[in-house]
Amino acid sequence: MKLSDRMRVDLARALVITGLILYVPSNVMPVMTMAIVGVVEPLTVLGGVEELYASGLPLIAGVVFLASFVLPFVKLAALAWILLLHGTPKMRLQRSNLFRIVHKIGSWSMVDIFLLAVLAAVGQLGALASVAARPGCILFAVVLLCSLLAAEIYKPRLIWEDPMPDIP
Amino acid sequence: MDAAAQQFSTDKREKGADARMIPCPYCEAGCRKRELLPEEELRCVRCGSTVLLPIGKRTLQPTMALSVTGVFLLLLANTMPVLNFEIIGRVQSGYVLTGVVQLCEQGYWPIALLVLFAGVIAPGLYLGSLFYISSACVLRLRFPRLAAVFRFSHAIAPWNLIPVYSVATVVAVVKLRMMGGVEWQPGARWILGVAVMSLLCGQSTEKQIVEESLEEMGVDVTSGGGR
Repeated sequence: MKLSDRMRVDLARALVITGLILYVPSNVMPVMTMAIVGVVEPLTVLGGVEELYASGLPLIAGVVFLASFVLPFVKLAALAWILLLHGTPKMRLQRSNLFRIVHKIGSWSMVDIFLLAVLAAVGQLGALASVAARPGCILFAVVLLCSLLAAEIYKPRLIWEDPMPDIP
Repeated sequence: MDAAAQQFSTDKREKGADARMIPCPYCEAGCRKRELLPEEELRCVRCGSTVLLPIGKRTLQPTMALSVTGVFLLLLANTMPVLNFEIIGRVQSGYVLTGVVQLCEQGYWPIALLVLFAGVIAPGLYLGSLFYISSACVLRLRFPRLAAVFRFSHAIAPWNLIPVYSVATVVAVVKLRMMGGVEWQPGARWILGVAVMSLLCGQSTEKQIVEESLEEMGVDVTSGGGR
């Protein structure tokens, strides 16, 4: 499938906007419920971080907080800025360098999705312990895919291109 | 813009028109090729990325060894349990694929697919395609579709999220420890192994070495370029 440059920019913009809109609900809705010995507990991404922090593991809590809350937003915001300035000659070098970083930090937010998969794998002990996915995880995955795909579709060379080349 | 900037030609039609011009691997600006002195590198005038490195005697042998090791470790990681969780005397062991199956059974198949793709399929394809290319380059064998496989390895690389998976297992252990007994199983070690091999492969595979070896074998690297 060949995408024209115009389509690449439009598609990347659409993905970033979708990601930014869904970012809020994805962090408010529970990602999973954990029921341990009868106590059912819905967990949001931030709830999980708080729990880790409260149990005296600030380092791991910090990693999860950065990877699953701060990073997706920073990534989407950076992409939004890059795409907003597309076609203008402003700060091209900065945009180019920022895009390189955005591309490198990749998708550490997948930590939460994988965490759900690992917990679901071992948390199936009937009444004693059960882990169930909740719709929030779908939104979370969509936000993540939006930022990942947008960074793949937009190409660094497009930063340097003028919107309408007047001189052939 | 200075005079050097005037040489840029991002237009694909002009690609290959001048053998001394090569595209910057990052921003695709045309850069003038020249012989490099030892310890000198050619940088793109436009974005500052490294365009050419003095590769000297570096080969793709490390990539070949690392990628084939990674493929074997991935097989082991998927055939052995990763964690054992114990609560009031009942034990359950979890494989990578148990998580995928569970999510599927709960009706969350898109998430299950995502985990399967990013945690099992993409790492396999990434390491497999690197092994295919590096063995062809090292052994000077002209396997079919080398240029396409090389482009594919670039496309699949960002989806290889096994290093993220290994961090997720650590977080899972911490979380589960609050509720019951957790025990690491051999699978976890192999997952970490695959993650390390993937990261090392990414470091050791220099695009330039691959392109030069492919060109020496007469494979057209630029054909159908796009990606």
